[in-house]
Amino acid sequence: VKVGLEVHQQLATGKLFCACPAELVEATAGSFSRRLRPTGGERRAVDAAAAFQASRGLLYRYESGPSNCLVEMDEEPPHPINEQALDVALTLALLLEARPVDEIEVMRKIVVDGSNTSGFQRTALIAVDGRLTLGSRQYSILSICLEEDAARKVRESGEEVVYRLDRLGIPLIEIATGPDITSGAEAREVAEEIGALLRSTRKVRRGIGTIREDLNVSAEGGARIEIKGVQELKKIHEYVDREEGRQRTLLGVRDALGRRSGAAIDPTPVDVSPLLTAVASGPLSPATRGKGPALALKLPGFAGLLRSPPGSDERLGRELADQARTAGLRGLVHSDELPGQGVDEGLLAGLRRHLGLGEQDAFVLVADRSEARCRAALDRIARRAAVARDGIPAETRDPLPDGRTRYSRPLPGRDRMYPETDVPPIPVGEDRLARLRDVLPERPAALRARLARQYGLNDEVVRQIVYADLLEPFEALTARGRAPAMVARLLTQQLPEVGSPEGAPPFEPSTELLDGLLRAAEDGRVAKEGLPAVLGALARGAPTVDAAIAGAGLSSMSHEELVQLIEGLVSRQAELVRARGADAFSPLMGDVMREVRGRRDGREVAEELRRALDRLRAPARP
Amino acid sequence: VADVLRALRALPMGQRVELTDADGRSWSGTIVPPHELSGDAIVPLKLESGYNVGVRVGPGSRYHVLGATASPPTRPAAPPARASGGDEGGVVVLTTGGTIASRVDYETGGVRPVHTEAEILEFYPELEKTGAVRVEPVFDRLSENVVPRDWVTLAERSAAALAGGARGVVIAHGTDTLGFTASALSFLLQDLTGPVVLVGAQRSPDRPSSDGPGNLAAAVAVARHAGLGEVVAVMHSGLSDSRFAIHRGNRVRKMHSSRRDAFQTRNSEPLGWVEEGTVHLRPEARPAAGGPTRCDGPIDEAGGLLWSYPGLTPEAADRFSRPLRGVVLAGTGLGHVGTVHLDWIREAVARGTVVAMTTQCLAGEVDPYVYATGRELLRAGVTYLGDLLPETAYTKMLWALGHAADPTAVRALLLQDRAGEFEARHREGAEA
Repeated sequence: VKVGLEVHQQLATGKLFCACPAELVEATAGSFSRRLRPTGGERRAVDAAAAFQASRGLLYRYESGPSNCLVEMDEEPPHPINEQALDVALTLALLLEARPVDEIEVMRKIVVDGSNTSGFQRTALIAVDGRLTLGSRQYSILSICLEEDAARKVRESGEEVVYRLDRLGIPLIEIATGPDITSGAEAREVAEEIGALLRSTRKVRRGIGTIREDLNVSAEGGARIEIKGVQELKKIHEYVDREEGRQRTLLGVRDALGRRSGAAIDPTPVDVSPLLTAVASGPLSPATRGKGPALALKLPGFAGLLRSPPGSDERLGRELADQARTAGLRGLVHSDELPGQGVDEGLLAGLRRHLGLGEQDAFVLVADRSEARCRAALDRIARRAAVARDGIPAETRDPLPDGRTRYSRPLPGRDRMYPETDVPPIPVGEDRLARLRDVLPERPAALRARLARQYGLNDEVVRQIVYADLLEPFEALTARGRAPAMVARLLTQQLPEVGSPEGAPPFEPSTELLDGLLRAAEDGRVAKEGLPAVLGALARGAPTVDAAIAGAGLSSMSHEELVQLIEGLVSRQAELVRARGADAFSPLMGDVMREVRGRRDGREVAEELRRALDRLRAPARP
Repeated sequence: VADVLRALRALPMGQRVELTDADGRSWSGTIVPPHELSGDAIVPLKLESGYNVGVRVGPGSRYHVLGATASPPTRPAAPPARASGGDEGGVVVLTTGGTIASRVDYETGGVRPVHTEAEILEFYPELEKTGAVRVEPVFDRLSENVVPRDWVTLAERSAAALAGGARGVVIAHGTDTLGFTASALSFLLQDLTGPVVLVGAQRSPDRPSSDGPGNLAAAVAVARHAGLGEVVAVMHSGLSDSRFAIHRGNRVRKMHSSRRDAFQTRNSEPLGWVEEGTVHLRPEARPAAGGPTRCDGPIDEAGGLLWSYPGLTPEAADRFSRPLRGVVLAGTGLGHVGTVHLDWIREAVARGTVVAMTTQCLAGEVDPYVYATGRELLRAGVTYLGDLLPETAYTKMLWALGHAADPTAVRALLLQDRAGEFEARHREGAEA
């Protein structure tokens, strides 16, 4: 498999073409609605992706708020480019040994899915021909671009899609690697290294969604598939591996189709509603309840090829169902999953007879209140099925949380860019590059070596700090005097294990809060062992560290109570102590710790236990 | 360097070249037009990726031509010619240039005006959906370059179209001076048998978000509306693409440099709205006349508009006024200029120059009686023009100067309500 990455990182410099803050806010002040339409001086050259989006004929509503001005609303021309953001992009170019262009020309990239109020995204090529060195391997960097982030979709209902404008215009650095990556694991490593390089500038936004990856994956003999907007770096290898599997499965389907002599697909739908009156439930029930037609499409030669082949979780049926969803349906039913879905053997035989199908022929069924939607869906399905004979269509796919992907739209072509004449070209002078070279940030390898040396941390911990975006809180907490080892354990082990309540936003505690927590451990208000429980209480909404300590039931044991607990236990186990002597320590320590549950420090427990054991054994000595 | 640059600039657009820059790095791409603000030694190239970059030519720069890019797609064949004189019942769209009628060459980024009917219909294919439309290019100018004699041309073409049986006329116009043209036409066009609708775009039509298509569709709907006999402007009424305001031509003003809803009716409410393709008119809208519609020219361009400000010297104002037969002042507040100006005003009036007063507040009316300065200006011979916008007073001045030689007669014409330009009632909330 060949993989290329496109890393998109938001910058914390303020927006790219206006003076608004680069911050997401939930508050909205008002909204307005727009219709976008594809344009093209030459209509036939309208980008395929743009035409596809517009063919859905949607109305877009935009919510604006405190992070917006007229620029994001497409009501005022862009201001000159944010110089600080440009400096960050040029710094990345230098770090990646790329060559900056002499004069930057800002472009308009047509995007009519509504995510940009203007209908285009402003983007500029900053540098080309760089390289990333990772140990002994080298990866080509094709381009470094600086562009605007899009508005974020908040709802979609019927014909209306609602976007919020806070994210629109936040600067994004886009770094594209060549297709030099050969496995999912390697893709993840490259992404992590680029992420660390970006963060080394200290001008990037942090948190979920601030870095997004597009993965270009092509299996041998397959097609280029763009998986767009992966937010979790640790899932990159999963998406790559599954995509490779999907392409292999579909290539298998292609070969099987090639061996059969199926006729061409006749795209004319057949109304099978009268046959389905007995279907009581399932996806076909709209038709049985008289709420719309059920239409069938014959797929000659496809029998058995719509379901997953042995050993694969992928199938052509799912690709066709994606097309049905794109047309606005819930899904489809195909003959490889029948009988089932409310269709019994008899009905299946009846359907096959009605459609005049041979043994090797398959069919799909769709049902919906709207006949137009059904027809549009079958039209898409017919086209997608026809392509299956040739192989795999190049397309853009959306990542799903379970590691799979779903069809999103055709791969955008190259006709979609023209100059943004409202922004003057920007010369990149040698003086500017020299100034940036003088203050080039520390590369990840040097940073790792320094952290290991300076804080006495082992390589594994240092790697986590550098690649899992923990450097900023690590430095902030150690600068406040917290012990590096404790900070490292908190950030790399204890914090990642804290879950947040179902449906709640991810737990992202402030530096102040973490500092308070570590201080509480230092002051003995909570034992080190109790930190995970306190974090858990904080994640569930405890307002302060002390409240969390109390909430976790960790504040109720005094030193005296500990001593009492130990005395009691040791006297109950006097037998064991006498029999095993000093070897009784370990089992008793385990018992005490279970009782203490993190309310007292482990070292203190061990000390008191030893003392109690000594006291018990002392009188026996001569 | 100069030779290389000259040679590169002489290459036709769309030529593919490989070019070595000042640092010896090689770039391959298509020659595209330079931005007006590009550096002197910069040659812009469109790379294979679609991005444009500026390549600096320096000592040691070389280039060689790789060939021409795929030839630009050919224009669509012109639609079959319509039978001539077939405006009966249809809408005539006069184009004058401006944002609404310009297009971007996506390959090069160059912007140029749309010339032919075929091009306009290619751009706005929805135009013909609701009925016959004939497109007639009149001139190609950004509206800052439109001059008063163009108003007469447009009035003549509009009158001819209506007299020829058209239901209504749409004039696609740049937005900068759209308000001036609309106002001038409201005085120039007499006995309107149908609406004359000015329309523009605040966002260029190359953008998917352009307001042009919506505005144009609304304008055509208004032009088709039987019974309306006014010059109006139709533009977005808010930020959404769903509601369009119908403004009386002599009350409308561009009140924002960039917003879609920049156009506002001042001192009153709009005459109506277009929603979902349906035209709603208030009763104040003037009904169509029996016709025939005619252009009531000429105009005399010897009028001027002077914006008063604290540092304006009487010498400068006097110099400005001397060659003119009529001067409209955009005064402060209720219609004032400093008392230092009284002398030149008296002299101008004595020479036979008409001096008229409006307010630069752009809302509310002028009143000479409230302050001593106003009373003195009135005594000096200044004509107070109620709630007319300065631009409306100016266009009306040119029209009045064209229709009367005698200053007293000019003043009388100025004060007469010709096309609904005066509003007697100023109700709270309807100022703008």
